[in-house]
Amino acid sequence: MSLFWIVIRQLAEIEAMAMSKKVITREEWEKKLNDVKIRKEDMNKLVMNFLVTEGYVDAAEKFRMESGTEPDIDLATITDRMAVKKAVQCGNVEDAIEKVNDLNPEILDTNPQLFFHLQQQRLIELIRNGKVEEALEFAQEELAPRGEENQSFLEELERTVALLAFEDVSNCPVGDLLDISQRLKTASEVNAAILTSQSHEKDPKLPSLLKMLLWAQNQLDEKAAYPRINDLATATLEDPAI
Amino acid sequence: MPTTTASAVCTTVGNNILLRLTSGERDVKLKALRELKNQIIGNRTKKLSFLKLGAVPAVAGILSDAVSAVDVADNDENDRIVKDIIVQSAAVLGSFACGFEAGVRAVLDAGADILIQRGCLVEEMPLLKSYMEVVDAGARSLKMIYQSKMAPKYDFLQEENMEFLLSLLNNESENVSGLGASIISHSCKTSLEQKLLFDAGVLKRLTSLLGGSLIQRDASLESIATIFKNNPEVVSQFVGPDTGRTLSCIIEIVKDRFARTRLLASLCLIVIRNASPCYLQDVGIKTKLINNLLELLDDPGRVGDEASFAFSSLIAEKEDMQKLAFEVNGVDKLYNHLQKGSLHPRRFEGILLALADMCSKLECCRSRCLSLQVLKLVVDALAHDSSDVRSAACMCLRSVSRSIKNLSAGSFMNETIVIPLVRLLDDTSTAVQVAALGAISNIVVDFTTRRSTFIRLGGVKLLVQLSKSMDSTIRLNALRALRNLIFLAEDKCKEEIFMELTASLLASLICDPEPSVQEQALALVRNLVDGRINSVEYIFAEDGIILDAVGRQLRIASKAEIEIQGMYVLGNVATGKESHKEAVMDQLLLRAENKAQSCIIKFLQSNDSRLRTAAVWAVLNLTCSSSPGSSGRLVKLHDAGIVSHVKNMVNDPCLDVKLRVKTALEQFNSFDDSLILCIFSPAASNNKASTSCLQFLTVRAVGELSHVVDPSSKEEESIANYFRFSMKKNKKKKSTRTVKFCFDVPADSL
Repeated sequence: MSLFWIVIRQLAEIEAMAMSKKVITREEWEKKLNDVKIRKEDMNKLVMNFLVTEGYVDAAEKFRMESGTEPDIDLATITDRMAVKKAVQCGNVEDAIEKVNDLNPEILDTNPQLFFHLQQQRLIELIRNGKVEEALEFAQEELAPRGEENQSFLEELERTVALLAFEDVSNCPVGDLLDISQRLKTASEVNAAILTSQSHEKDPKLPSLLKMLLWAQNQLDEKAAYPRINDLATATLEDPAI
Repeated sequence: MPTTTASAVCTTVGNNILLRLTSGERDVKLKALRELKNQIIGNRTKKLSFLKLGAVPAVAGILSDAVSAVDVADNDENDRIVKDIIVQSAAVLGSFACGFEAGVRAVLDAGADILIQRGCLVEEMPLLKSYMEVVDAGARSLKMIYQSKMAPKYDFLQEENMEFLLSLLNNESENVSGLGASIISHSCKTSLEQKLLFDAGVLKRLTSLLGGSLIQRDASLESIATIFKNNPEVVSQFVGPDTGRTLSCIIEIVKDRFARTRLLASLCLIVIRNASPCYLQDVGIKTKLINNLLELLDDPGRVGDEASFAFSSLIAEKEDMQKLAFEVNGVDKLYNHLQKGSLHPRRFEGILLALADMCSKLECCRSRCLSLQVLKLVVDALAHDSSDVRSAACMCLRSVSRSIKNLSAGSFMNETIVIPLVRLLDDTSTAVQVAALGAISNIVVDFTTRRSTFIRLGGVKLLVQLSKSMDSTIRLNALRALRNLIFLAEDKCKEEIFMELTASLLASLICDPEPSVQEQALALVRNLVDGRINSVEYIFAEDGIILDAVGRQLRIASKAEIEIQGMYVLGNVATGKESHKEAVMDQLLLRAENKAQSCIIKFLQSNDSRLRTAAVWAVLNLTCSSSPGSSGRLVKLHDAGIVSHVKNMVNDPCLDVKLRVKTALEQFNSFDDSLILCIFSPAASNNKASTSCLQFLTVRAVGELSHVVDPSSKEEESIANYFRFSMKKNKKKKSTRTVKFCFDVPADSL
């Protein structure tokens, strides 16, 4: 990432002389890229950090054997955490709650927002499975008290309960709640809470780096035309439009 | 109705669980325990309903049975189940105690804290020791209990308790060591306990915990702060190489990634800083702390709420810190948070108090506040639902109104501010009333003529009412406000206030059981009679009960502040007419019981220079040259020994006193030009006797004798005969004033 900073600094110097956008050819660019040295160990650490934080135990184990990189979390503790995450991702919220409470009973007791989201997910799953009666009961017994205990949950609560009002749930205004992405969101939240309780960083570093890359490119766009990375998956350089 | 259905369902499920808890079979019990646990964690409503069904004593009973069963466990399978039962029941009890006061009470009532301690943590259970889960579960639950104020006080003075605590701290498990630290944070209150813990060497372990997990770090920071809080002695012993290491460790943690940890680290440093003048005094650390706390205000949760209170404890009463905070735009930053609106009451209160501290001493802060239009938000806060917020708003107003520039410009004496403030004088909370009185005391010191606004809005009525309150703090503050209101007030204003107060109330307040109230009442009277001659008349209202009260207090008082105010009252009255001055003389010369001298002599000899100044002022005013009766008063003062005392003060160390004494002496000397009348017994009324008397007199008088009047030539209407001597220091000065002094000369001495 330091490459971009170097480039931007150089461009700033040139900018004083030329107000119009500077054009950088692919050759120049690739040369600059090659001049930047990044250590393999650092790259490995980033990968391991990602695998471990996201909970890919087997991959992390394999990666450790192949690269010799040591994980910064005990791999054994990851298994429990992954069980919870998986349960949520599959929609077995009740199971997930039991597992979290076995792992650390303090987490849900001290995280009202997380607890609310888990309950919310339970309701969503009940609605998804068409169990309307049960869903209603659950909403009254479990979710309504959350709203009473904490006013800030009311808005989200209303959105969720609104699902019950529609015949065709997949096409209603709050239909996004039924998306798999909602499950993933909740799963991520639980994962982060467990990591925090274990005193670890809840976010892996790689996504942050990617965000920085995109931001740096956007900044540079104002000053120069250069080969951009537009597809993060392939990371191919695309020539500047002249 | 939905609610009924919900609670009915809950009760059915609840009863079912409780039923299974009483089962004889361990498996069933265990399952029921787990279900109960999963029902209540995170769910305050369920906790309450299970509480009502009597779950806590039931679970405590199960725990107790299980703990006894450990000893007689005969095989692995049973062992495991018993262990699981202990873990689950501990977890249930811990969850009931988590942030839920009713739950804590129930858990404590069931004796569960002792059960858990004995069952999970005490070393004597060898079987259990191998089960980390049990220890962890027990430690977690106890920690929950100790986070509540209701938890029993841990007795550090008992040796076995200290040992147990140390064993907890030294344990590897983060939950157990965290528990040890929590116990310290909860129960260590007195300086003796702080010293005990310090001497037992816990700091070393706590410092090492700073490098541990998040739980250990946070718990350790809280404990360290608890040990040092307000205890300069312990902090002073905190020397050596360890100190530097601990301090630098904590300073590093101020930059931690977790907001709560940053806050705890800052609080820890503040506690150490406040307890000792030698640590953490360099500009770098001061700025770091200020910036850190201002940044923590951005946190949306409880950390942000508490950050402002930490900020207050950092800058309160410390001008240098306030200045630093001002330089990094502290006022602006606080104002930005204030502007956000719909703040949590705790946050609102914290920010208002922080602003109050910022403006307590520095004019630059007050000006900035006023230019940012902070007042508008503060005035809105005066009507907030929370009494703490109202109180904080008043304190903020009090600090900002210390700005003399703006007071003189009359910036505060307008209806938008005065009306809500006056309304608070009637507030249900005493603390709010006192805070409002504080703000009013400043605002009424208005150098324009706008005090009438305050009076018109019914302020005086309320203040007078409050000055009759049962609560002495309220009486005191109400009087202070009235005192400031009357300061340099116009005649009409004074009249209105006096009519509301009445002489009898003032007299009784002067004799109030509380000395501080007496002081304010006297100060009030001092301001009342200060100024024009007709102001002095007030003190003579209702047969002079106020003056009598003042005199009485002066004779019996023992507190310097009361004596000072009282003397100034008399001094002010002595600027009035002749009758006023004579009345003062009467009061001064009246002696208290068992006292040989007038009280003013004691004041003239006081160690307190303010009191000496006040006393000399009174003498000055009584003997001022322009008053006809002054010479007579000088004689009386002379006879009471007061004049010689004043003369002895010519080299007083205090400049104020010295200058007044100089003026007084000049006044005394101006009377030596006058005629001295001497009265002596009729038996010696012949020329020969008068000459002898003259000789007697020359010793006392200054100057030359120039004229003798034959006593026999005087008209007699009284027994006494007069000798008149005219003393002239130099031919230019001749005054015809007379000073009388009398002495009885027995016939044979002549």
